[in-house]
Amino acid sequence: MLMQLTVSGLAQGAIYALIALSLTVVFRATTVVNFGHGDFVLGGAFGVYVLVVMLGLPFLPSAIAAIILMFACGILISRGFIDPIKAGPHIGFAMMSISLGYIFRGTTRSIWGREVLPMPRVFDIPPVFIGDIVITGDAMIISGTVAVLLVGFFIVFYKTSIGKIIQAVYQSERGATLIGINVRRFHDMMWGAGLAMGAVAGILIAPISLLHPDLGAGFLIRGFAAMTLGGFGSLGGAVAGGLILGVTEQYAGAYVNTALIDITSYLVILVVLVVRPSGLFGKRAVVRV
Amino acid sequence: MKMKSKYGLPLGVFAAIGLMAGAAIADDTTGLTDTTIKVGVMGPFSGNASSYSKAQIGEMAYYKMINDQGGVHGRKFELIQEDTACQPAKGIAAAKKLVSQDKVFMMHGNSCSGVAMAVKDIVVESGTPWIVAHAVNPNISMPPTPNVFHGVPAGPAYGYTMGKFVMSKPGTKNVVMVEHSNDWAKSYADPTRDYMKTKGIEPSMVLAMERGQTDATAQVLKIREAKPDFIVASLYEAETVIFLKDLKKYGITDIPVMGAAGTDLENTLARIGDIDTVKNYYVPHAFIDTVDGPGMKEWNDIILKYYPGETITGFSYVSIGSAVAVVQALKNAGPDLTREKFIAEMDKIKNFDTGIFATNITWAADDRHGVKESAVAGFVDGKPTVMKSWNEPM
Repeated sequence: MLMQLTVSGLAQGAIYALIALSLTVVFRATTVVNFGHGDFVLGGAFGVYVLVVMLGLPFLPSAIAAIILMFACGILISRGFIDPIKAGPHIGFAMMSISLGYIFRGTTRSIWGREVLPMPRVFDIPPVFIGDIVITGDAMIISGTVAVLLVGFFIVFYKTSIGKIIQAVYQSERGATLIGINVRRFHDMMWGAGLAMGAVAGILIAPISLLHPDLGAGFLIRGFAAMTLGGFGSLGGAVAGGLILGVTEQYAGAYVNTALIDITSYLVILVVLVVRPSGLFGKRAVVRV
Repeated sequence: MKMKSKYGLPLGVFAAIGLMAGAAIADDTTGLTDTTIKVGVMGPFSGNASSYSKAQIGEMAYYKMINDQGGVHGRKFELIQEDTACQPAKGIAAAKKLVSQDKVFMMHGNSCSGVAMAVKDIVVESGTPWIVAHAVNPNISMPPTPNVFHGVPAGPAYGYTMGKFVMSKPGTKNVVMVEHSNDWAKSYADPTRDYMKTKGIEPSMVLAMERGQTDATAQVLKIREAKPDFIVASLYEAETVIFLKDLKKYGITDIPVMGAAGTDLENTLARIGDIDTVKNYYVPHAFIDTVDGPGMKEWNDIILKYYPGETITGFSYVSIGSAVAVVQALKNAGPDLTREKFIAEMDKIKNFDTGIFATNITWAADDRHGVKESAVAGFVDGKPTVMKSWNEPM
């Protein structure tokens, strides 16, 4: 049972990792915690639903179109709603992201109601059996896609000039502006990238979880828990946090009580903030006085 | 003293109006003429629960058919539709309008238990006969009040059905229950447990699966170790699909699963897309047949005659059974109709076959839960089939 729980936990954790990573990208680039992210995760899935199920288009181009659409949405949010309030108090960002998320959720509710929508299964890969352990096609697709995305993302972040720009803006927006970086456009791109990555997570999970407007809320809290566990702003930490959270949920449910699965995220946030506020890989904030 | 002289007359007028309004509410023939019976039909015709309003559409189609047949004792139903959007605040406004402004003879409908509970006091105080024909919270008609009747299986009736069906499978000894930790699941799971207890069976394991969970590995692996004879799953639609898929994933395809009434057999199959995964899944089913079955054809025809283009689902039938009983009570009350006579005739409805509910309706002054149990639907040879008990089709 332990191995099966671990395998399932890692597959589930891969989704949390992707959501935590997309939250971290926006946070690290703009210092905004996107409380509406859970709803935007579903944006990609609903986009695919419309294109594939309602319009009858093939999956892959539809998925790419939905991801591009959410990228554009991210730019729109950055330019239209976040940039105009950047001089205001930081709480304004939180309120704005919550409001945008709820507006998105309300819009999907008004169109699809409480209907639980089935998403088509695109790749029908048979499960692999290793002894008693089952590795499903979904788990392989999710883990594989997330692994490829993560590798690509880390290469961009740590091995390219774009990554250096990100680092520069993260360390000092003013300094980055002085050396000629267009910080405003950079923020737009990072909001776009964050929402696009979230959309990928939504597209991957919806065929398993089914699609309904309230699905995003659970993912948001798990994304936050993974972020907290890994360390705020740490990209590697977000990934590790997501995977650990996925496995912890399974162990807690199987070996302690299934009621714990739902509150594992909250327990993780609570324990980490009390015991090690910087998380596993975060840096402790140093304030010079 | 000054105040008295200034406001005395208006207050007196208001008091007089209030007394007149009270008298109007108490009037036993409110909402009646020689040719019409005013019926208030409240339902969620808009908003995110608007699919539930199919129940009111079905009921109104039935009343329109009765009108086309000449009505009851020459009176035709004048249906006044009010939207609650499944929101208590809107429901309260709608109920007040129907009672005080439209002055209906009776109210019939009400999806959404939250709305029904919110308007209960208003309707009870007004004395307007109220047939609750969709909302399942048993407390709407508990404790019994003279003018409130529950015309649909309430939560305990479904739970009783679930327990009875589980125990009807020969050799059932080991039952595992999986449920959400909320009142909705409790309203099904508790009566199921109570029934099993009367047969000497306690669940060997009770597992939680909360809303929004997208994986049921931990629950399913525990179930695999427990090797139950039956699983009772009080889960919403999305979690039911995830749970059934994970059962299949881990090779558990031969243990029957009893679901709650919040799920629908055909929809569950459509969402999973694989008959092998749902072949052992059963749900409470209040009607004599499935949507496409021959038993429902006459009801489908009625609905489509008055609401062409209406998409028929299980919700479409929910309120028709009680409408059939209402028409019978009105017939029995005779041409000199009053609310008192109508309520008395409703209380005389015993073991009444509506032709649409799988079980009969019985009301009494001390028991207003008219429908005490339901049938069960499951797949037999891949076809949705309504059953009385294990392996016993209707």
